[in-house]
Amino acid sequence: MDEAANKAIDLFVQKTGGQVASLLEACTRCGMCAEACHYYQATHVPEYTPIWKVEMLRRTYEQRFTWGGKLRLAMGLDKEITNESLAEWSNYDFQACSMCNMCSMVCPMGINISSMIGMVRSGITAAGLTPEGLAKKTATQLETGSPNGATEDDYAAWFERSSKEMGRELPIDVPDVDILLVLTNLEYASFPGNLASIAKILDAAGISWTLSMEARDAFNMGAIIGNGKIMRQLADKIYNAAVRLRVKRVLVSACGHGFTTLRDKLPNARGEALPFEVIHIAELMGDVVSDGRVKLQQGFLSDNGHTYTFHDSCKIQRMGGIMDEPRLVLKQMAGDSFHEMLPNREQAICCGGGGGVRAIPEAFDTRMAAFELKVKQVENADADVVVTTCSNCRLQFMEGFKHYGLDKQVSGLAELMAQAIIE
Amino acid sequence: MDWNAILAFARGPLFNAALLIFIGGMLFRLFRVVMLGWGKDYSTSRGSKATGVVQSYLKGLFVLPFWPWVKGTFQRNPIPYIAGGLFHLGLFVVIFLGTAHMLVWKDLLGFGWPTLPMPIVDWLAVAAIAGMLALLVNRLVHPVMKMLSGPSTYINWMLVFLPMITGYIMTHHLFFRYEVAYSLHMLSVDAMLIWIPFSRISHFMFYFFSRTMHGAELGKQALTP
Repeated sequence: MDEAANKAIDLFVQKTGGQVASLLEACTRCGMCAEACHYYQATHVPEYTPIWKVEMLRRTYEQRFTWGGKLRLAMGLDKEITNESLAEWSNYDFQACSMCNMCSMVCPMGINISSMIGMVRSGITAAGLTPEGLAKKTATQLETGSPNGATEDDYAAWFERSSKEMGRELPIDVPDVDILLVLTNLEYASFPGNLASIAKILDAAGISWTLSMEARDAFNMGAIIGNGKIMRQLADKIYNAAVRLRVKRVLVSACGHGFTTLRDKLPNARGEALPFEVIHIAELMGDVVSDGRVKLQQGFLSDNGHTYTFHDSCKIQRMGGIMDEPRLVLKQMAGDSFHEMLPNREQAICCGGGGGVRAIPEAFDTRMAAFELKVKQVENADADVVVTTCSNCRLQFMEGFKHYGLDKQVSGLAELMAQAIIE
Repeated sequence: MDWNAILAFARGPLFNAALLIFIGGMLFRLFRVVMLGWGKDYSTSRGSKATGVVQSYLKGLFVLPFWPWVKGTFQRNPIPYIAGGLFHLGLFVVIFLGTAHMLVWKDLLGFGWPTLPMPIVDWLAVAAIAGMLALLVNRLVHPVMKMLSGPSTYINWMLVFLPMITGYIMTHHLFFRYEVAYSLHMLSVDAMLIWIPFSRISHFMFYFFSRTMHGAELGKQALTP
């Protein structure tokens, strides 16, 4: 047996509790999850079937925990897990899965397939077979603080520039405030205006807030590659800053996995409830508008000749539950020129760039093929501006529209809202 | 061959033994999974897990093809959807609302219940058998289904199909003498009962685990499963 494969198997065995076992036992191999997956729909590669991506975990479970599985292995009816098989599954689980969880919405048994794909990713990472693009970004984040190599000095310069633009000193490491705002390197690199926009929204709502150099990037490569230790190490930076500054809430800007990692995974990794609340900017925008703390110019976007649609991101909307808040804000601004893409909300199709897929060069064709589904939806909604609350989706949309030669815009909701605020 | 003796054995001692293996085996599997341990969830809830669970089961029951959240799934998977649906509907009606089977339940449990008229049960049995055949063909030709299926998948299919087809033959007095058809029906039922604990046919038990967890996960975020 291969030593690297053994590391993966040990991890699978260790992670298999009642939850995983019952999900695996519930699967009837009906194959309906295939058509739920945007990568399968776009390519019809059978191996992209979501439950097939869990095959390594199923083999381990049956061969290690059940008599039938042991018997089948002994009789040569089931295959062993080898380095080669793990390397093969690395292509399916990393390059053709954005962990969007649409498969579990379609599964007649309601099996949470993406949580198990996450475990397979962990095993592949334990065996040292993480895709190179992701492994590099992980190393860079551990070294510099951000997966793209943005350092503390880079962030300081960004904060400085934003301060000048706003004519207001940005609060950094101020204790005892309500909110600690955590940004991402995607905004630093591609959407630097997001910081000033969020600052303007927080100021208009009269919320006390701060930034922190220690907690500057919500991005979490550990969560993406499935390395629990690195995930905890990166998330704890934010935890430590929040505790040190005694904030009531941690506000994650336009990052999907960073938000759910902090809110849902970190408490379970630490084995305790967090002493602060974790919220997403999409949620906060809706809350301050609906309780009247921030007033928006009604119809701010409705007469400019554009039509708007909203993209439901998998981590923030389908898994995070922040569905109504961003719509409330967008509807106030865009009125009748806001059109829903269908299917939407819980049933929305992923943009194809999440879960680290955008960071794997080999996955380019697959993710662009999957994006074509999104193009059709946008066209059916008769919209020319797509609004998102996730910077990663936003980049995928920008790249995708360019790839297909489409003249469509992509906007971040916070930037739009900041312009519509009535002072 | 003394088919009367075979029948007496198949519906007597063998049936009782098969039932014991079925119940004991399923209990064993249930305990084995439960005893693997369940992680505690420390994350906060935005909604109600209970509401999500209720919605999850309602959605699992009322899967009408024209409902918005079913439509896409239905259009992309028409064969497993219709054939699978008819099979399960027919199966449940025949097992619980067919008079002959209700009498078996009455014998086992000590009480009975009203049943449906024979023609309705009969047509649903035909639908279930047709559904199973369609599912088998789909499994044999669709690239995804071929990839997902192994020997045990086909054994499962066979051991569920045999009781259904022999039951139909027996009810309609086709091909065989009554006691022969009845014996074949009982033998295949016994074989299926013994096989279930060793197979994925057991999904009827774990359905309640996955569906509950799914509902709780989405309900926790105030979402509709």
